[in-house]
Amino acid sequence: MAIADVYKLVEKGKSKLIAEAVEEALEDGDSAVDILNDGMIKAMDKVGEKFKNGEIFVPEMLIAAKTMKKGVEVLKPHLATGAAGALGKVIIGTVAGDLHDIGKNLVIMMLESAGFEVIDLGVDVSKEKFVETYEANPDTKIICCSALLTTTMPALKDTVALINAQPFRGSVKVMVGGAPISQAFADEIGADAYTEDAASCAKKAKELAA
Amino acid sequence: MMNARENMDAVIKGGNPERFCNNYEAIQLLFDPFAMHNPRAAKGQENVVDAWGVTNSFPANVPGAFPVHTPDKIVIKDFEEWEKYLKAPSLDFTAEEWAIFKAQYDAVDRSQSYAATFVAPGLFERMHHCGGIENALMAFYECEDEVHDLIKYLTEWELKYAEGVCKNLKPDAVFHHDDWGSMKSTFMSVGMFEEFFVDAYKEIYKYYHEHGCKYVFHHSDSYGATLVPDMIEMGIDVWQGCMSSNDLPTLVKKYGDKITFMGGFDGAMVDREDATPEMIKEIVYNYLDAVGTAKGFIPCIAQGGPGSVYPQVYHWLMDAIDQYSIDKMGVKKEEITRLPLQILF
Repeated sequence: MAIADVYKLVEKGKSKLIAEAVEEALEDGDSAVDILNDGMIKAMDKVGEKFKNGEIFVPEMLIAAKTMKKGVEVLKPHLATGAAGALGKVIIGTVAGDLHDIGKNLVIMMLESAGFEVIDLGVDVSKEKFVETYEANPDTKIICCSALLTTTMPALKDTVALINAQPFRGSVKVMVGGAPISQAFADEIGADAYTEDAASCAKKAKELAA
Repeated sequence: MMNARENMDAVIKGGNPERFCNNYEAIQLLFDPFAMHNPRAAKGQENVVDAWGVTNSFPANVPGAFPVHTPDKIVIKDFEEWEKYLKAPSLDFTAEEWAIFKAQYDAVDRSQSYAATFVAPGLFERMHHCGGIENALMAFYECEDEVHDLIKYLTEWELKYAEGVCKNLKPDAVFHHDDWGSMKSTFMSVGMFEEFFVDAYKEIYKYYHEHGCKYVFHHSDSYGATLVPDMIEMGIDVWQGCMSSNDLPTLVKKYGDKITFMGGFDGAMVDREDATPEMIKEIVYNYLDAVGTAKGFIPCIAQGGPGSVYPQVYHWLMDAIDQYSIDKMGVKKEEITRLPLQILF
Protein backbone atom coordinates (compact mmCIF):
# COMPACT_ATOMS: atom_id res chain seq x y z
CA MET A 1 0.00 0.00 0.00
CA ALA A 2 2.82 2.41 0.92
CA ILE A 3 4.52 1.90 -2.45
CA ALA A 4 1.17 2.46 -4.15
CA ASP A 5 0.94 5.79 -2.32
CA VAL A 6 4.40 6.78 -3.53
CA TYR A 7 3.34 5.84 -7.07
CA LYS A 8 0.22 8.00 -6.84
CA LEU A 9 2.05 10.98 -5.39
CA VAL A 10 4.72 10.89 -8.11
CA GLU A 11 2.12 10.48 -10.83
CA LYS A 12 0.13 13.44 -9.47
CA GLY A 13 3.23 15.53 -8.76
CA LYS A 14 2.61 16.07 -5.06
CA SER A 15 6.11 17.18 -4.19
CA LYS A 16 5.23 18.42 -0.71
CA LEU A 17 3.85 15.04 0.37
CA ILE A 18 6.35 12.64 -1.14
CA ALA A 19 9.05 12.73 1.56
CA GLU A 20 6.64 11.59 4.23
CA ALA A 21 5.21 8.85 2.02
CA VAL A 22 8.67 7.49 1.22
CA GLU A 23 9.60 7.49 4.90
CA GLU A 24 6.38 5.64 5.72
CA ALA A 25 7.10 3.06 3.04
CA LEU A 26 10.58 2.50 4.48
CA GLU A 27 9.15 2.21 7.98
CA ASP A 28 6.63 -0.33 6.70
CA GLY A 29 9.55 -2.46 5.59
CA ASP A 30 9.48 -1.83 1.85
CA SER A 31 12.96 -1.94 0.38
CA ALA A 32 14.44 1.25 -1.02
CA VAL A 33 14.98 -0.45 -4.39
CA ASP A 34 11.32 -1.53 -4.55
CA ILE A 35 10.15 1.96 -3.64
CA LEU A 36 12.39 3.39 -6.37
CA ASN A 37 11.46 0.89 -9.05
CA ASP A 38 7.80 0.12 -8.32
CA GLY A 39 6.81 3.41 -6.75
CA MET A 40 8.74 6.04 -8.62
CA ILE A 41 10.17 4.76 -11.89
CA LYS A 42 6.92 2.98 -12.78
CA ALA A 43 4.96 6.14 -11.98
CA MET A 44 7.24 8.17 -14.23
CA ASP A 45 6.80 5.59 -16.99
CA LYS A 46 3.07 6.20 -16.70
CA VAL A 47 3.62 9.97 -16.71
CA GLY A 48 5.76 9.65 -19.82
CA GLU A 49 3.12 7.56 -21.54
CA LYS A 50 0.39 10.09 -20.71
CA PHE A 51 2.60 12.93 -21.97
CA LYS A 52 3.27 11.08 -25.19
CA ASN A 53 -0.45 10.52 -25.66
CA GLY A 54 -1.27 14.17 -25.04
CA GLU A 55 -3.21 13.42 -21.85
CA ILE A 56 -0.91 15.61 -19.77
CA PHE A 57 1.39 18.51 -20.58
CA VAL A 58 4.79 19.86 -19.59
CA PRO A 59 3.76 21.28 -16.18
CA GLU A 60 2.38 17.92 -15.05
CA MET A 61 5.50 16.15 -16.24
CA LEU A 62 7.74 18.67 -14.49
CA ILE A 63 6.02 18.43 -11.15
CA ALA A 64 6.01 14.63 -11.35
CA ALA A 65 9.76 14.65 -12.04
CA LYS A 66 10.34 17.13 -9.22
CA THR A 67 8.33 14.90 -6.88
CA MET A 68 10.39 11.89 -7.83
CA LYS A 69 13.60 13.84 -7.28
CA LYS A 70 12.48 14.80 -3.79
CA GLY A 71 11.53 11.21 -3.08
CA VAL A 72 14.91 9.95 -4.29
CA GLU A 73 16.63 12.37 -1.88
CA VAL A 74 14.90 10.58 0.98
CA LEU A 75 15.72 7.19 -0.49
CA LYS A 76 19.36 7.85 -1.29
CA PRO A 77 20.85 6.99 2.12
CA HIS A 78 19.03 3.65 1.87
CA LEU A 79 20.15 2.80 -1.65
CA ALA A 80 23.39 1.12 -2.63
CA THR A 81 25.72 3.61 -4.31
CA GLY A 82 24.70 4.14 -7.90
CA ALA A 83 21.32 2.44 -7.60
CA ALA A 84 19.54 5.63 -8.59
CA GLY A 85 21.47 5.69 -11.85
CA ALA A 86 21.60 1.96 -12.29
CA LEU A 87 20.89 1.91 -16.02
CA GLY A 88 24.18 3.68 -16.75
CA LYS A 89 25.46 7.03 -17.88
CA VAL A 90 24.08 9.22 -20.61
CA ILE A 91 25.82 12.31 -21.97
CA ILE A 92 23.47 14.93 -23.34
CA GLY A 93 23.72 18.40 -24.86
CA THR A 94 22.27 20.80 -27.42
CA VAL A 95 24.71 21.17 -30.29
CA ALA A 96 26.91 24.16 -31.15
CA GLY A 97 25.03 27.28 -32.17
CA ASP A 98 21.80 26.24 -30.49
CA LEU A 99 20.66 27.61 -27.12
CA HIS A 100 17.39 25.70 -26.79
CA ASP A 101 17.15 23.68 -23.63
CA ILE A 102 13.52 23.01 -22.76
CA GLY A 103 13.25 19.77 -24.73
CA LYS A 104 16.69 18.66 -23.62
CA ASN A 105 15.82 19.27 -19.99
CA LEU A 106 12.61 17.26 -20.32
CA VAL A 107 14.62 14.42 -21.80
CA ILE A 108 17.04 14.62 -18.85
CA MET A 109 14.17 14.38 -16.38
CA MET A 110 12.72 11.36 -18.12
CA LEU A 111 16.12 9.67 -18.42
CA GLU A 112 16.92 10.27 -14.74
CA SER A 113 13.47 9.11 -13.78
CA ALA A 114 13.99 5.96 -15.82
CA GLY A 115 17.18 5.20 -13.87
CA PHE A 116 20.01 6.74 -15.89
CA GLU A 117 22.76 8.96 -14.56
CA VAL A 118 22.82 11.98 -16.85
CA ILE A 119 25.79 14.23 -17.62
CA ASP A 120 24.25 17.44 -18.89
CA LEU A 121 26.63 19.46 -21.06
CA GLY A 122 24.10 22.26 -21.45
CA VAL A 123 23.51 24.21 -24.67
CA ASP A 124 25.77 25.38 -27.51
CA VAL A 125 28.02 22.36 -26.98
CA SER A 126 30.94 21.87 -29.35
CA LYS A 127 31.36 18.50 -31.03
CA GLU A 128 34.76 18.16 -29.36
CA LYS A 129 33.13 18.57 -25.94
CA PHE A 130 30.87 15.55 -26.54
CA VAL A 131 33.91 13.45 -27.42
CA GLU A 132 36.05 14.75 -24.53
CA THR A 133 33.24 14.04 -22.08
CA TYR A 134 32.89 10.50 -23.34
CA GLU A 135 36.63 9.98 -23.04
CA ALA A 136 36.45 11.16 -19.44
CA ASN A 137 33.46 8.85 -18.86
CA PRO A 138 34.14 5.74 -20.94
CA ASP A 139 31.39 3.81 -19.14
CA THR A 140 28.79 6.03 -20.83
CA LYS A 141 26.11 4.01 -22.58
CA ILE A 142 24.48 6.70 -24.74
CA ILE A 143 25.29 10.13 -26.14
CA CYS A 144 22.20 12.26 -26.83
CA CYS A 145 22.48 15.31 -29.10
CA SER A 146 19.72 17.80 -29.67
CA ALA A 147 19.16 20.48 -32.34
CA LEU A 148 16.09 22.74 -32.42
CA LEU A 149 16.89 24.83 -35.45
CA THR A 150 17.27 24.10 -39.13
CA THR A 151 20.45 26.18 -38.92
CA THR A 152 21.97 23.83 -36.35
CA MET A 153 21.14 20.59 -38.17
CA PRO A 154 24.59 20.79 -39.84
CA ALA A 155 26.17 21.09 -36.38
CA LEU A 156 24.27 17.98 -35.31
CA LYS A 157 25.52 16.19 -38.41
CA ASP A 158 29.12 17.28 -37.67
CA THR A 159 28.81 16.20 -34.03
CA VAL A 160 27.56 12.74 -34.94
CA ALA A 161 30.22 12.46 -37.65
CA LEU A 162 32.96 13.21 -35.14
CA ILE A 163 31.56 10.69 -32.65
CA ASN A 164 31.24 8.11 -35.44
CA ALA A 165 34.92 8.58 -36.28
CA GLN A 166 36.07 7.75 -32.76
CA PRO A 167 37.59 4.40 -31.82
CA PHE A 168 35.07 4.12 -28.97
CA ARG A 169 32.08 4.35 -31.32
CA GLY A 170 31.29 0.66 -31.08
CA SER A 171 30.85 0.97 -27.31
CA VAL A 172 28.32 3.79 -27.23
CA LYS A 173 24.96 4.51 -28.81
CA VAL A 174 24.11 7.89 -30.31
CA MET A 175 20.58 9.30 -30.06
CA VAL A 176 19.38 12.51 -31.72
CA GLY A 177 16.28 14.65 -31.39
CA GLY A 178 14.77 18.11 -31.76
CA ALA A 179 11.96 19.78 -33.69
CA PRO A 180 13.44 19.74 -37.22
CA ILE A 181 15.00 16.28 -36.86
CA SER A 182 13.44 13.22 -38.44
CA GLN A 183 14.19 9.52 -38.60
CA ALA A 184 15.42 10.03 -42.15
CA PHE A 185 17.87 12.72 -41.03
CA ALA A 186 19.04 10.55 -38.14
CA ASP A 187 19.67 7.69 -40.57
CA GLU A 188 21.46 9.98 -42.99
CA ILE A 189 23.90 11.27 -40.38
CA GLY A 190 24.56 7.86 -38.85
CA ALA A 191 22.84 8.12 -35.46
CA ASP A 192 21.61 4.95 -33.81
CA ALA A 193 18.21 6.29 -32.86
CA TYR A 194 15.82 9.20 -33.17
CA THR A 195 12.82 9.75 -30.96
CA GLU A 196 10.25 12.48 -31.18
CA ASP A 197 9.62 13.25 -27.53
CA ALA A 198 11.12 12.92 -24.06
CA ALA A 199 9.09 9.89 -23.02
CA SER A 200 9.96 7.96 -26.17
CA CYS A 201 13.60 8.90 -25.68
CA ALA A 202 13.69 7.37 -22.21
CA LYS A 203 11.98 4.23 -23.48
CA LYS A 204 14.36 3.89 -26.42
CA ALA A 205 17.37 4.60 -24.20
CA LYS A 206 16.38 1.70 -21.96
CA GLU A 207 16.28 -0.61 -24.99
CA LEU A 208 19.64 0.63 -26.24
CA ALA A 209 21.29 0.33 -22.83
CA ALA A 210 19.95 -3.14 -22.16
CA MET B 1 -7.61 45.31 -58.37
CA MET B 2 -7.27 45.45 -54.61
CA ASN B 3 -3.99 46.53 -53.18
CA ALA B 4 -2.26 44.44 -50.50
CA ARG B 5 -4.15 46.03 -47.61
CA GLU B 6 -7.55 45.80 -49.27
CA ASN B 7 -6.89 42.21 -50.20
CA MET B 8 -5.87 41.34 -46.64
CA ASP B 9 -9.07 43.00 -45.36
CA ALA B 10 -11.04 40.71 -47.65
CA VAL B 11 -9.08 37.69 -46.37
CA ILE B 12 -9.71 38.52 -42.71
CA LYS B 13 -13.19 39.98 -42.89
CA GLY B 14 -14.89 37.41 -45.08
CA GLY B 15 -14.78 39.39 -48.31
CA ASN B 16 -13.68 38.14 -51.66
CA PRO B 17 -9.89 38.31 -51.84
CA GLU B 18 -8.56 38.45 -55.36
CA ARG B 19 -5.42 36.54 -54.49
CA PHE B 20 -3.64 34.98 -51.53
CA CYS B 21 -2.46 37.58 -49.08
CA ASN B 22 1.28 37.02 -49.03
CA ASN B 23 3.25 36.81 -45.77
CA TYR B 24 3.70 40.22 -44.09
CA GLU B 25 3.02 42.25 -47.24
CA ALA B 26 0.21 44.32 -45.68
CA ILE B 27 1.53 44.90 -42.19
CA GLN B 28 4.53 46.94 -41.15
CA LEU B 29 5.85 46.08 -37.69
CA LEU B 30 6.93 49.14 -35.73
CA PHE B 31 8.55 49.92 -32.39
CA ASP B 32 8.03 52.51 -29.67
CA PRO B 33 10.07 54.42 -27.06
CA PHE B 34 10.21 51.45 -24.70
CA ALA B 35 12.72 49.99 -27.15
CA MET B 36 15.05 52.89 -26.31
CA HIS B 37 14.98 51.98 -22.63
CA ASN B 38 15.06 48.24 -22.98
CA PRO B 39 18.58 47.10 -23.89
CA ARG B 40 18.65 44.13 -26.25
CA ALA B 41 21.60 41.87 -26.86
CA ALA B 42 22.95 42.40 -30.36
CA LYS B 43 24.68 39.57 -32.23
CA GLY B 44 27.90 38.76 -30.44
CA GLN B 45 26.89 40.42 -27.17
CA GLU B 46 26.56 38.47 -23.97
CA ASN B 47 24.89 39.23 -20.65
CA VAL B 48 22.92 42.31 -21.64
CA VAL B 49 20.39 43.17 -18.93
CA ASP B 50 17.02 44.43 -20.19
CA ALA B 51 14.57 46.80 -18.51
CA TRP B 52 12.97 43.95 -16.56
CA GLY B 53 16.33 42.80 -15.23
CA VAL B 54 16.44 39.78 -17.54
CA THR B 55 19.93 38.93 -18.77
CA ASN B 56 20.11 38.05 -22.45
CA SER B 57 22.95 36.70 -24.53
CA PHE B 58 23.31 36.50 -28.29
CA PRO B 59 26.42 34.47 -29.11
CA ALA B 60 27.67 35.14 -32.63
CA ASN B 61 27.05 31.56 -33.75
CA VAL B 62 23.34 31.43 -32.92
CA PRO B 63 20.37 33.02 -34.73
CA GLY B 64 18.84 34.96 -31.84
CA ALA B 65 19.17 36.20 -28.27
CA PHE B 66 18.16 34.02 -25.34
CA PRO B 67 17.50 34.79 -21.68
CA VAL B 68 20.19 33.49 -19.34
CA HIS B 69 18.85 31.55 -16.38
CA THR B 70 21.86 30.69 -14.30
CA PRO B 71 20.97 30.97 -10.58
CA ASP B 72 22.82 34.29 -10.22
CA LYS B 73 20.99 35.88 -13.16
CA ILE B 74 17.44 34.63 -12.83
CA VAL B 75 15.12 37.52 -11.89
CA ILE B 76 12.25 35.72 -10.15
CA LYS B 77 14.06 33.31 -7.91
CA ASP B 78 10.84 32.01 -6.39
CA PHE B 79 7.43 32.48 -8.02
CA GLU B 80 5.74 32.28 -4.65
CA GLU B 81 7.53 35.52 -3.74
CA TRP B 82 7.68 37.14 -7.17
CA GLU B 83 6.84 40.57 -5.73
CA LYS B 84 10.15 40.54 -3.89
CA TYR B 85 12.08 40.22 -7.12
CA LEU B 86 10.13 41.83 -9.95
CA LYS B 87 9.76 45.50 -10.67
CA ALA B 88 8.09 46.51 -13.92
CA PRO B 89 10.00 49.17 -15.82
CA SER B 90 8.75 52.70 -16.25
CA LEU B 91 6.57 53.57 -19.21
CA ASP B 92 6.95 57.31 -18.90
CA PHE B 93 8.58 58.66 -22.02
CA THR B 94 9.21 62.19 -23.19
CA ALA B 95 7.30 63.86 -26.00
CA GLU B 96 10.53 63.89 -28.02
CA GLU B 97 10.88 60.14 -27.64
CA TRP B 98 7.32 59.52 -28.75
CA ALA B 99 7.87 61.88 -31.70
CA ILE B 100 10.76 59.80 -33.05
CA PHE B 101 8.50 56.76 -33.35
CA LYS B 102 5.41 58.69 -34.43
CA ALA B 103 7.37 59.76 -37.49
CA GLN B 104 7.93 56.08 -38.34
CA TYR B 105 4.22 55.30 -37.97
CA ASP B 106 3.32 58.34 -40.07
CA ALA B 107 5.71 57.22 -42.79
CA VAL B 108 3.63 54.09 -43.46
CA ASP B 109 1.20 54.53 -46.34
CA ARG B 110 -1.87 53.23 -44.57
CA SER B 111 -3.88 53.01 -47.72
CA GLN B 112 -1.61 50.08 -48.62
CA SER B 113 -0.50 48.57 -45.32
CA TYR B 114 -1.31 48.44 -41.63
CA ALA B 115 1.03 50.08 -39.14
CA ALA B 116 1.29 47.59 -36.31
CA THR B 117 2.87 47.96 -32.91
CA PHE B 118 5.25 45.10 -32.26
CA VAL B 119 4.90 43.71 -28.73
CA ALA B 120 7.19 41.00 -27.38
CA PRO B 121 7.47 39.12 -25.17
CA GLY B 122 3.92 38.39 -24.06
CA LEU B 123 2.57 37.50 -20.64
CA PHE B 124 3.63 33.86 -20.52
CA GLU B 125 6.97 34.59 -22.15
CA ARG B 126 7.61 37.42 -19.68
CA MET B 127 6.96 34.98 -16.85
CA HIS B 128 9.50 32.48 -18.08
CA HIS B 129 12.03 35.03 -19.23
CA CYS B 130 12.02 36.33 -15.67
CA GLY B 131 11.88 33.03 -13.85
CA GLY B 132 12.89 30.23 -16.21
CA ILE B 133 10.38 28.13 -18.11
CA GLU B 134 10.50 25.07 -15.92
CA ASN B 135 9.95 27.03 -12.72
CA ALA B 136 7.24 29.06 -14.44
CA LEU B 137 5.37 25.98 -15.60
CA MET B 138 5.59 24.32 -12.20
CA ALA B 139 4.40 27.51 -10.53
CA PHE B 140 0.98 27.10 -12.15
CA TYR B 141 0.56 24.16 -9.79
CA GLU B 142 2.73 25.10 -6.87
CA CYS B 143 1.59 28.68 -6.22
CA GLU B 144 -1.54 29.26 -8.25
CA ASP B 145 -2.69 32.39 -6.38
CA GLU B 146 0.68 34.09 -6.68
CA VAL B 147 0.80 33.32 -10.40
CA HIS B 148 -2.64 34.86 -10.83
CA ASP B 149 -1.35 37.97 -9.08
CA LEU B 150 1.78 38.02 -11.22
CA ILE B 151 -0.23 37.76 -14.44
CA LYS B 152 -2.47 40.59 -13.22
CA TYR B 153 0.63 42.71 -12.56
CA LEU B 154 2.02 41.98 -16.04
CA THR B 155 -1.39 42.66 -17.61
CA GLU B 156 -1.63 46.04 -15.92
CA TRP B 157 1.80 46.93 -17.25
CA GLU B 158 0.76 45.85 -20.74
CA LEU B 159 -2.41 47.92 -20.53
CA LYS B 160 -0.44 50.98 -19.55
CA TYR B 161 1.95 50.27 -22.40
CA ALA B 162 -1.00 49.92 -24.81
CA GLU B 163 -2.44 53.20 -23.56
CA GLY B 164 0.79 55.07 -24.32
CA VAL B 165 1.20 53.46 -27.72
CA CYS B 166 -2.39 53.98 -28.85
CA LYS B 167 -2.49 57.58 -27.63
CA ASN B 168 0.85 58.66 -29.02
CA LEU B 169 1.49 56.49 -32.06
CA LYS B 170 -2.01 55.56 -33.26
CA PRO B 171 -1.32 52.13 -34.72
CA ASP B 172 -4.12 50.49 -36.67
CA ALA B 173 -3.01 46.98 -35.72
CA VAL B 174 -1.00 45.26 -33.03
CA PHE B 175 1.36 42.36 -33.55
CA HIS B 176 1.73 40.63 -30.23
CA HIS B 177 4.05 37.75 -29.45
CA ASP B 178 3.49 35.03 -26.87
CA ASP B 179 4.48 31.46 -27.70
CA TRP B 180 2.05 29.00 -26.23
CA GLY B 181 3.44 25.72 -27.41
CA SER B 182 6.04 23.61 -29.09
CA MET B 183 5.79 22.21 -32.59
CA LYS B 184 3.56 19.34 -31.54
CA SER B 185 1.78 20.40 -28.40
CA THR B 186 0.67 23.33 -26.30
CA PHE B 187 2.83 24.01 -23.26
CA MET B 188 -0.14 23.51 -20.98
CA SER B 189 -3.62 22.03 -21.00
CA VAL B 190 -6.52 24.02 -22.39
CA GLY B 191 -7.99 24.21 -18.89
CA MET B 192 -4.84 25.72 -17.42
CA PHE B 193 -4.52 28.14 -20.33
CA GLU B 194 -8.08 29.27 -19.84
CA GLU B 195 -7.67 29.68 -16.11
CA PHE B 196 -4.60 31.87 -16.34
CA PHE B 197 -4.48 33.65 -19.68
CA VAL B 198 -7.80 34.07 -21.46
CA ASP B 199 -9.23 36.89 -19.34
CA ALA B 200 -5.90 38.73 -19.24
CA TYR B 201 -5.57 38.72 -23.01
CA LYS B 202 -9.24 39.58 -23.48
CA GLU B 203 -8.60 42.73 -21.52
CA ILE B 204 -5.43 43.66 -23.40
CA TYR B 205 -6.80 42.96 -26.87
CA LYS B 206 -10.10 44.69 -26.10
CA TYR B 207 -8.09 47.80 -25.26
CA TYR B 208 -6.26 47.73 -28.58
CA HIS B 209 -9.48 47.12 -30.49
CA GLU B 210 -11.22 50.00 -28.74
CA HIS B 211 -8.33 52.37 -29.31
CA GLY B 212 -7.78 52.32 -33.02
CA CYS B 213 -6.45 48.86 -33.81
CA LYS B 214 -8.61 47.14 -36.35
CA TYR B 215 -6.70 43.91 -36.08
CA VAL B 216 -4.94 41.97 -33.37
CA PHE B 217 -2.29 39.67 -34.77
CA HIS B 218 -1.07 37.17 -32.22
CA HIS B 219 2.17 35.31 -32.85
CA SER B 220 2.70 31.82 -31.47
CA ASP B 221 4.80 29.66 -33.77
CA SER B 222 3.63 26.41 -32.39
CA TYR B 223 0.93 23.85 -32.29
CA GLY B 224 -2.16 25.53 -30.87
CA ALA B 225 -5.21 24.06 -32.62
CA THR B 226 -6.83 23.22 -29.30
CA LEU B 227 -6.54 26.85 -28.20
CA VAL B 228 -8.28 28.33 -31.24
CA PRO B 229 -11.71 28.79 -29.56
CA ASP B 230 -9.90 30.64 -26.74
CA MET B 231 -7.96 32.74 -29.22
CA ILE B 232 -11.26 33.79 -30.78
CA GLU B 233 -12.65 34.63 -27.35
CA MET B 234 -9.54 36.68 -26.55
CA GLY B 235 -10.20 38.85 -29.58
CA ILE B 236 -7.39 37.62 -31.80
CA ASP B 237 -8.14 38.39 -35.44
CA VAL B 238 -5.12 36.67 -36.92
CA TRP B 239 -3.09 33.83 -35.44
CA GLN B 240 0.34 34.27 -36.95
CA GLY B 241 2.85 31.45 -36.66
CA CYS B 242 0.40 28.56 -36.87
CA MET B 243 2.61 25.67 -37.88
CA SER B 244 1.69 22.96 -40.33
CA SER B 245 1.28 20.54 -37.40
CA ASN B 246 -2.07 22.24 -36.75
CA ASP B 247 -3.81 20.78 -39.82
CA LEU B 248 -4.58 24.21 -41.19
CA PRO B 249 -6.83 23.01 -44.03
CA THR B 250 -9.25 21.70 -41.40
CA LEU B 251 -8.88 24.69 -39.08
CA VAL B 252 -9.44 27.20 -41.88
CA LYS B 253 -12.63 25.39 -42.86
CA LYS B 254 -13.85 25.23 -39.27
CA TYR B 255 -12.84 28.64 -37.95
CA GLY B 256 -11.72 30.72 -40.94
CA ASP B 257 -14.76 32.99 -40.72
CA LYS B 258 -13.87 33.92 -37.12
CA ILE B 259 -10.08 34.00 -37.08
CA THR B 260 -7.48 34.10 -39.85
CA PHE B 261 -4.62 31.62 -39.84
CA MET B 262 -1.31 33.16 -40.91
CA GLY B 263 1.41 30.59 -41.28
CA GLY B 264 1.70 27.07 -42.61
CA PHE B 265 5.35 27.29 -43.61
CA ASP B 266 7.48 26.10 -40.72
CA GLY B 267 11.17 26.90 -40.61
CA ALA B 268 11.98 23.21 -40.84
CA MET B 269 9.96 22.97 -44.09
CA VAL B 270 11.35 25.90 -46.01
CA ASP B 271 13.95 27.88 -44.06
CA ARG B 272 16.76 25.43 -44.67
CA GLU B 273 20.28 25.47 -45.94
CA ASP B 274 19.30 23.16 -48.80
CA ALA B 275 16.20 25.14 -49.86
CA THR B 276 15.79 26.00 -53.53
CA PRO B 277 13.12 28.10 -55.28
CA GLU B 278 11.79 24.95 -56.95
CA MET B 279 11.50 23.07 -53.66
CA ILE B 280 9.70 25.99 -52.03
CA LYS B 281 7.37 26.39 -55.01
CA GLU B 282 6.38 22.73 -54.80
CA ILE B 283 5.73 23.00 -51.06
CA VAL B 284 3.69 26.18 -51.54
CA TYR B 285 1.57 24.79 -54.37
CA ASN B 286 0.81 21.59 -52.48
CA TYR B 287 -0.07 23.50 -49.32
CA LEU B 288 -2.26 26.12 -50.97
CA ASP B 289 -4.04 23.37 -52.90
CA ALA B 290 -4.69 21.60 -49.60
CA VAL B 291 -6.06 24.69 -47.86
CA GLY B 292 -8.08 25.51 -50.96
CA THR B 293 -9.16 29.04 -50.05
CA ALA B 294 -7.64 32.50 -49.68
CA LYS B 295 -10.31 33.42 -47.11
CA GLY B 296 -9.26 33.13 -43.50
CA PHE B 297 -5.75 32.08 -44.45
CA ILE B 298 -2.54 34.03 -45.04
CA PRO B 299 0.28 31.81 -46.24
CA CYS B 300 3.30 32.91 -44.24
CA ILE B 301 6.60 31.82 -42.84
CA ALA B 302 5.97 30.74 -39.24
CA GLN B 303 8.55 33.03 -37.65
CA GLY B 304 7.27 36.08 -35.85
CA GLY B 305 8.34 38.82 -38.20
CA PRO B 306 9.14 39.29 -41.88
CA GLY B 307 12.29 37.63 -43.13
CA SER B 308 13.94 34.24 -42.79
CA VAL B 309 17.05 32.72 -41.29
CA TYR B 310 18.37 32.03 -44.80
CA PRO B 311 17.68 35.44 -46.36
CA GLN B 312 16.72 34.29 -49.84
CA VAL B 313 14.05 31.91 -48.51
CA TYR B 314 11.56 34.66 -47.63
CA HIS B 315 11.78 36.07 -51.15
CA TRP B 316 11.38 32.64 -52.75
CA LEU B 317 8.36 32.02 -50.56
CA MET B 318 6.83 35.35 -51.55
CA ASP B 319 7.50 34.64 -55.23
CA ALA B 320 5.96 31.17 -55.04
CA ILE B 321 2.79 32.45 -53.34
CA ASP B 322 2.40 35.24 -55.90
CA GLN B 323 2.95 32.77 -58.71
CA TYR B 324 0.25 30.53 -57.29
CA SER B 325 -2.20 33.45 -57.33
CA ILE B 326 -1.18 34.16 -60.94
CA ASP B 327 -1.46 30.53 -62.06
CA LYS B 328 -4.57 29.50 -60.15
CA MET B 329 -6.57 32.69 -59.53
CA GLY B 330 -6.05 34.51 -62.80
CA VAL B 331 -4.21 37.46 -61.29
CA LYS B 332 -1.71 39.31 -63.47
CA LYS B 333 1.75 39.91 -62.05
CA GLU B 334 1.49 43.67 -62.57
CA GLU B 335 -1.77 43.73 -60.62
CA ILE B 336 -0.04 42.59 -57.43
CA THR B 337 0.86 45.79 -55.60
CA ARG B 338 2.41 46.23 -52.19
CA LEU B 339 4.79 48.50 -50.30
CA PRO B 340 8.48 47.59 -50.42
CA LEU B 341 9.03 44.52 -48.28
CA GLN B 342 9.97 45.00 -44.66
CA ILE B 343 12.62 42.56 -43.43
CA LEU B 344 12.81 42.48 -39.66
CA PHE B 345 14.70 39.31 -38.88
